Amino acid sequence: MKNKALFLFFFLPLIGIVVLFFILSAVNRSYIKIKVEDLVKEQLRSTAEILKTNISHYLSENYQAEEIFELYSGEENIYYMALLDSEKNILGWKSQFEGYLPLSRKTIGNKETWVIDSPAGKIYNFFSSFSAPDNKTYYVYLGYSLINLEEMMAYSRRNFIILFSVIAGIGIVFFLGIYQIQAGYIKKEKETEKEKREKERFREISAFTSGIAHEIKNPLNSLALLLELLQKKSPLELREDVTQGRTEVQKISRIIDLFSAALKPMNLQKERFVLKSLIEDIFESLRKEGLTKSVGLQYSENKEVILHADKGLMSQVFLNLLKNSLEATEMGTVRVSAKDHRKRVTITVTDSGRGMSDEEKTHIFEPFSSHKKQGMGVGLYLTKKIIEAHRGKISFESRMGQGTSFSIQL
Amino acid sequence: MKRLPLWGLTLFLFFTTLLSYGQKKEHYYNVDKEVTVKGTIKEIKMEPLYKNTAPFLIIILEENKTKSIYNVEISPVWFFDHDFHQGEHLIAKGSLYLSEENVRNIIAREVQSSGQVLLLRDKHGFPNWRGGKGQTNRKGRIKKDFL
Repeated sequence: MKNKALFLFFFLPLIGIVVLFFILSAVNRSYIKIKVEDLVKEQLRSTAEILKTNISHYLSENYQAEEIFELYSGEENIYYMALLDSEKNILGWKSQFEGYLPLSRKTIGNKETWVIDSPAGKIYNFFSSFSAPDNKTYYVYLGYSLINLEEMMAYSRRNFIILFSVIAGIGIVFFLGIYQIQAGYIKKEKETEKEKREKERFREISAFTSGIAHEIKNPLNSLALLLELLQKKSPLELREDVTQGRTEVQKISRIIDLFSAALKPMNLQKERFVLKSLIEDIFESLRKEGLTKSVGLQYSENKEVILHADKGLMSQVFLNLLKNSLEATEMGTVRVSAKDHRKRVTITVTDSGRGMSDEEKTHIFEPFSSHKKQGMGVGLYLTKKIIEAHRGKISFESRMGQGTSFSIQL
Repeated sequence: MKRLPLWGLTLFLFFTTLLSYGQKKEHYYNVDKEVTVKGTIKEIKMEPLYKNTAPFLIIILEENKTKSIYNVEISPVWFFDHDFHQGEHLIAKGSLYLSEENVRNIIAREVQSSGQVLLLRDKHGFPNWRGGKGQTNRKGRIKKDFL
C-alpha cells in the first residue's frame, strides 16, 4: 500500500468520525438551544402573565403606572416595561437605559412576543392585552433580558469547542500513532522482503559463480603445472615468456580465490588475540611489499585490546584498510587507534590521504566498484561482510583532500 | 461646551440625584417619530432628565427655516469632549416628542456639528454611553456619512 493510500486509510475514518461528531453535536446543541429557548420563553410568558395580573390588581387599587413600575425597580432582568391604554397610548413606562423603549406601532400589532438584538444582548419582548377590574383594556409591554440564556449558550458553545478540540486532538494523536506503527511495520516488511530477495539472488549467484570458479580452477591448476614444467624444460629465449604466462595464470587463480572468498558464507573460527600485534604484523608485511614508502604507522589504545574474533578474517579486514590508507597517502602517518570500553571495542584507521568524492562514498562497500587502477573492488565489500559476520559495524568519514577515517565497532 | 467649576458640578450632581424625575409619558425614543432638524445653537444647558443618572447636555436649537425652537437632548455630560458653541450650526437626527408645555423636544440619535458626526444612540434608541458591542466608553463615536 502506498504511503498516501495508507495515510488516507487511517486519516479518512478520523475525519469521518470528527465530522460525524461535529454534526451530531451541532444538531444536538441546536436542539437543546431551541428547547431551552422555548422553555425560557414559556417561563417569561408565565412571568409576564403574573405581572399582568399584578398590574391589574394595582390598577384596581388606583395605583399610577409609574408607581406600579417603581415596585419592580429591583428586577434587573426587566430592561423596560410600559403600560398602554386601549388605544395603545403609553400611560407610563420605565427603562433601565435612558429613553430606551423600542416600541413601534409597526411591531406591536403583529405578534405577542418577539426577540430583538441590542448592545445589551438579546431582549425578549412581550406585548399583551388584559382587562382591569374597571373593564378597561390595557396593554403591557415588557422587555426581558435574555443575557442569562446567552451566557448559558456561550458557556455551552465554549464547552463544545473545548470538548471537540480535545476529542479531535486525541483522535489525531491516536490515528497518527496507529498510522506510524502501521507505516513502520509495512516499511519493515518491505525491507525484509527486499532483503530476502537479495539473499536469494545472492545465493543463486554464489552457487552459480562458485560452480564456475570450481570448473575454471581445475583446468587452471593443470595449466599452472604445465607452465611450471614448460618453464623448466623450455629453451632460455622462451623461458621469460613462459614465466610471464605462469604469472598471469597465478593472477587469474588469485582473482578466482578472491571471488570465492567473497561469495563463500562466513564460517568464523574465533580465538583471542592481541590487536596491536596483529596490526604491527600486517604493517610489517605491507612494508615488505614496499607499500609504506614514506608513510608511518601510529598505533594507540586506551588499554591492551584483546579481540575475540576470527584472526584470519580480521587480518584480511585490517590488511584491506591499511593497504587502502597507505595507497591513498603520499606522505605522513596512518593512525590506528583502539578503544576498549564496556565490552565494546572501537578501532579507527585514519589516513591523511586524498579522501573520497561523494560518488566514491556512495558505492564504497559495493562489490566490484573500485576507483583504483588495479583494484577489483572486493576488498571493502569483504571487509564489511567480515565485520557484519562478527555482529559488528563499520562506518567511515571522508573529506576530499583531508583524508579518510574508517571506524569498526565490535 | 460651557464648563462648570468642579465644586459647582459636584453640588449640581448632588442636588440632581436627590430629585426624583418621573419619566414623562412621551419621553422615550420613539422610533416612529424620527425627525431631522437643521438649526443654530441658541443656548446650551445641563439638566437632569432621567432618574439616578448624570445631568444631560441639552441644546436649545433654532430651526433655520421656521425659526421654531427645539430642546435637543444630547447625552450625559461626561460622554464626549466635543465642544458646542452658541451660534454654531447643528443638524440633529432623533425622536421628536412634545412636552406637556408643548415644547418640541428631540432625543438625539446623531448630531452633526463643526464637521463632525456624533453617534449617540443606535437605530432603536439604545444609548451608546451604556456600552454594548464596540461602543463601551467611546466618546461620541464619530462616523463619516450622516443622515
